[in-house]
Amino acid sequence: MKKINNEGWLFVLPLLLWLILSICFPLYIAIDLSFYNVKIIGTEGQFYGIKNYIKILNSSKFWSALNNSLFWVIGNALAQTFFAFLIALTLNKKFKGRNIATNWIILSFIIPTVVIVVIWKLMLSSSSGIVSSTLININLINKPIGFFGSPNIAFISLILINSWRWSPFLALIILSGLKSINREIYDASKIDGTNIFTEFWYITFPNLKNVLFVLGLVGTLLSFNVFDIIWLITKGGPSNATTTLPLLIYETAFTKFRLSQAASLSVITSIILLTYSIIFIKFMSEKKEDA
Amino acid sequence: MHKINSNNILFYFSISIIVIIFFFPFFWIISSSFKLPQEIISKIPTYFPHSFTLEHYNKLILTSDFIKYLINSLIVSFLSMFISVIISLLAAYGLHKLKFYGNKAVEHSLLITYAFPGVILLIPMYLMLSKIGLLNSYLALIIINVTFASPFAVWMLKAFFKMIPIEVEEAAYIDGASRLRILFSIIIPLAAPGIASIAIFCFIISWTEYMFASVLISGDDLRTLPVGLAAIVGQYQIDWGFLLAGATLASLPVIVLFIFVGKYFVSGLTEGAIK
Repeated sequence: MKKINNEGWLFVLPLLLWLILSICFPLYIAIDLSFYNVKIIGTEGQFYGIKNYIKILNSSKFWSALNNSLFWVIGNALAQTFFAFLIALTLNKKFKGRNIATNWIILSFIIPTVVIVVIWKLMLSSSSGIVSSTLININLINKPIGFFGSPNIAFISLILINSWRWSPFLALIILSGLKSINREIYDASKIDGTNIFTEFWYITFPNLKNVLFVLGLVGTLLSFNVFDIIWLITKGGPSNATTTLPLLIYETAFTKFRLSQAASLSVITSIILLTYSIIFIKFMSEKKEDA
Repeated sequence: MHKINSNNILFYFSISIIVIIFFFPFFWIISSSFKLPQEIISKIPTYFPHSFTLEHYNKLILTSDFIKYLINSLIVSFLSMFISVIISLLAAYGLHKLKFYGNKAVEHSLLITYAFPGVILLIPMYLMLSKIGLLNSYLALIIINVTFASPFAVWMLKAFFKMIPIEVEEAAYIDGASRLRILFSIIIPLAAPGIASIAIFCFIISWTEYMFASVLISGDDLRTLPVGLAAIVGQYQIDWGFLLAGATLASLPVIVLFIFVGKYFVSGLTEGAIK
């Protein structure tokens, strides 16, 4: 019924031009740069072929950053799924103050990441943070925890902080999915005497498949790309335990001043993510056609 | 009746977790920003300031560059928001209301932009901007903010545009109104809540951006708030009171904005997701 109308291009054009100039063109520069050996910004380098790529694929730093990124993405997915569902399921119940809670739960998402860093550095400070002192007061631990001190604990703390930022945002999207589930299904199950857990597993979860599919994939990209929270809290330490790929790229370019090497790293990372996104979009379109 | 009771317990339990984890931290930094330094880092936490003081706020506003950073952030965020809203509106109208060849391909490639980590664009962006002399300018940050905000904004608008029946604009078109006129006099008023929600989204993206602002701006004069605050976080001896006052004030503008249009933003998110 709808007519093909090529006027549409005119309206899309400004955005497309903007993105071509700010994404495609820089990507081209990055690819070009990756075949040279430019070090400090502003200097010229000579042609280097694929040597940068060979170096990177042979460096343990790259593989450990890739490994960290993988665990980062998985850890965030788990923590965010848990918190996002907790919030969404709670906000889906009727209670006094629910509207206010729904509107303001997203507070952690709208404030600058630097403020998030300030909040958690204060709360988790080992000498005087309220989290350690409360845990001591209720006798769960007997001496303060250094939340950013040892590699594993630092990694987990960062995952939780990042999840703290993103879960409410994801919760709202899940909430929209929950609202679209027909209430009658729940009422019918109540009569059958199900409890809250079987209800979740057999009714809520299957009905949210589409929303979860999108979140699982877009969420992965967003988590993968996190830079500032990690950088501002641990700078990738202790002993590189929290250096994910974005941090490695930043460090290579702006603290070690190896621009070309950083550009090659960027290209490799882009290839990984692009492959991932294309697979995702393929699945998405197939799903849509099924529906 | 028991079942309902056990469910109630679970409900109150999750409400308390949510309040403690997601709301309490805000109360804590705001309350702490009014405490004297020794009380902030005291081993016995006090929920309300025993030593109420405005010292940190005074110091922040009167003796630091905070206000300068605040103004920079406001300028960058408002201009970014303005430009993003205009080009996303046009694009969303073209994509979701007028079918054209390549329509789906454009929609998908917009999503793919999120596959590129910002850090990948950081290096070439720096080189490009320094070549054309735009390093250390508001424009450098605006270019970046619009790039990151617009694709998602277009996606959010989709649901709002879909709610407007096609007959409304077809009728106007037959009456001889131009597409642009239809957009401005029919679509925009009907999609106003959607526009409010993308505006606040673009503002938030710009207001919170740290990485590009820290690299593309080197002079102190154009520094934005996140970069200014991060400089204090990085110091060896952190002046907590000062930092907490800064964090509180840096959150204030988005919170104020949210008081007025927050509900549109939240509904924009939840509407867009299911369509």
